[in-house]
Amino acid sequence: MCSVGEGFEDEEGSRMEKAASANWKGGKCNKCRENDPVILLRKKDAYCKACFLAGANHKFKALLGKSKLIHPKDRVLIACETGHPTMSLLHLLRSGLDLNTQKKLRFEPVLVYVEDNYHMSIGERQRIIRSINNETSRLKFPLHLVSFADSINRKNVLISQKSLALNRCDQGKVNAMFDQSINKTNRRQLLHIMKRNILLTVAKQLNCKYIFTPELSMDIASSLLTNIALGRGSQVPDDTGFCDGRDSEVKILRPLRNFDMKELAMYNVFHKLEPVSVNPAQIDQYSSVQDLMSYFIIDLQENYPATITTVVKTGDKLALNQSMIAVQCKLCQSAILRNSKGLSSAESTRFSKLTSNELPDHNVSGPERYLKLTEKSDHSPQERQQYCFSCSKLSRHLLEEI
Amino acid sequence: MDIKLEFGGGAELLFDNQKQYKITLENKKTPWLIGDLLFWMKDNLLKDRPELFLQNDSVRPGILVLVNDTDWELMDTVRYEIKPNDSILFISTLHGG
Repeated sequence: MCSVGEGFEDEEGSRMEKAASANWKGGKCNKCRENDPVILLRKKDAYCKACFLAGANHKFKALLGKSKLIHPKDRVLIACETGHPTMSLLHLLRSGLDLNTQKKLRFEPVLVYVEDNYHMSIGERQRIIRSINNETSRLKFPLHLVSFADSINRKNVLISQKSLALNRCDQGKVNAMFDQSINKTNRRQLLHIMKRNILLTVAKQLNCKYIFTPELSMDIASSLLTNIALGRGSQVPDDTGFCDGRDSEVKILRPLRNFDMKELAMYNVFHKLEPVSVNPAQIDQYSSVQDLMSYFIIDLQENYPATITTVVKTGDKLALNQSMIAVQCKLCQSAILRNSKGLSSAESTRFSKLTSNELPDHNVSGPERYLKLTEKSDHSPQERQQYCFSCSKLSRHLLEEI
Repeated sequence: MDIKLEFGGGAELLFDNQKQYKITLENKKTPWLIGDLLFWMKDNLLKDRPELFLQNDSVRPGILVLVNDTDWELMDTVRYEIKPNDSILFISTLHGG
């Protein structure tokens, strides 16, 4: 067993601030210092209801305003999902749109729900669609419905207004996209990319220049680590930053990325909003890299409340050198970088694989053998012309079909 | 002692899809703490999969608890002493799917 790092907590426990139990010592709201607090955030900051709700509203608008991307009358696609974040997002939008002050939101939201619960029973799927429909119409937003299974790799997607034809074969349709042997990690990567591509297609069909997705700080942190683990390091700024600008026409924005789940769940409670919920699935955290990363983040966050912000803020410092971009990956639209002078880690791995598979030719001298090898390496087929490193490893069968 | 239990955000799915319960706790020698209530709920209300609601001596991470509309982290969590007519709300934040 590896024992490196064991016991570091005993010696240097002061390196990370641990908060196993709440640190709150009593008193009034942190902000107004008048009212009794009703919520404790980050296990130490107590707020009264009014200050907490005003703060949440401000945080949402500040991030949108700071980016200066959206102009009045722009159409913005809102990607709806089940759960607390979407519910809060819709309510934040509705209250921003209904304002009569300078701070009024002036863009036009277009709600879309991409139905991808194909692993559930038809009845349960219909219940979810009905509940989403009820909640969105209660907030006076019209909803558009799109079937995930029917939209994969389509240039034109069927968008319905009222109801969606659900089919028992949807799961089969999705499964047919994959190699039978594909592992869960790659499968989830592909589904993530496909969903993104569908949202982009739908946005273009509905004339939206922007897409809002309801990812939280927790999702951002775990997808950041997942991306790095899967060789998608160069995609971190686009995949986890506020703005994903990989598509030339439609930008994907993440307006909730500075919120944590507790804030939004409490926001919903205080506004008496009931999010659309589904039975939580039993997840084996070791079944895929994505599950493991989110388990790691959530578990660490429980005891060290600075975990998520540290990961997210560190990720915010990463950027891509725009002058290095050669082409875009055909599947995920991320940048494929120009060959640099030094070897990238992917190239080094490839070179190492090549040399390890060569039988040494002892008739020539060492330096000559080296020259031969580098020449061979330079001329070996470049797999990465159309796809980025990570996508090229995903599924040969699928890549041939796209 | 009569109290009200409420469930939201999907936590009701673990309790027969019922959002509200009015329950009566029998008098006992020591005060009723929320910690005791959680075990009472496990024995009397929770039908299956208790691991989706409880972990060790508390609720599972991802379930928020409010006592009379106030975060229980401001009230000493499991050590809060329940008073008659308290309303205790459990909100699940677990991602489904």
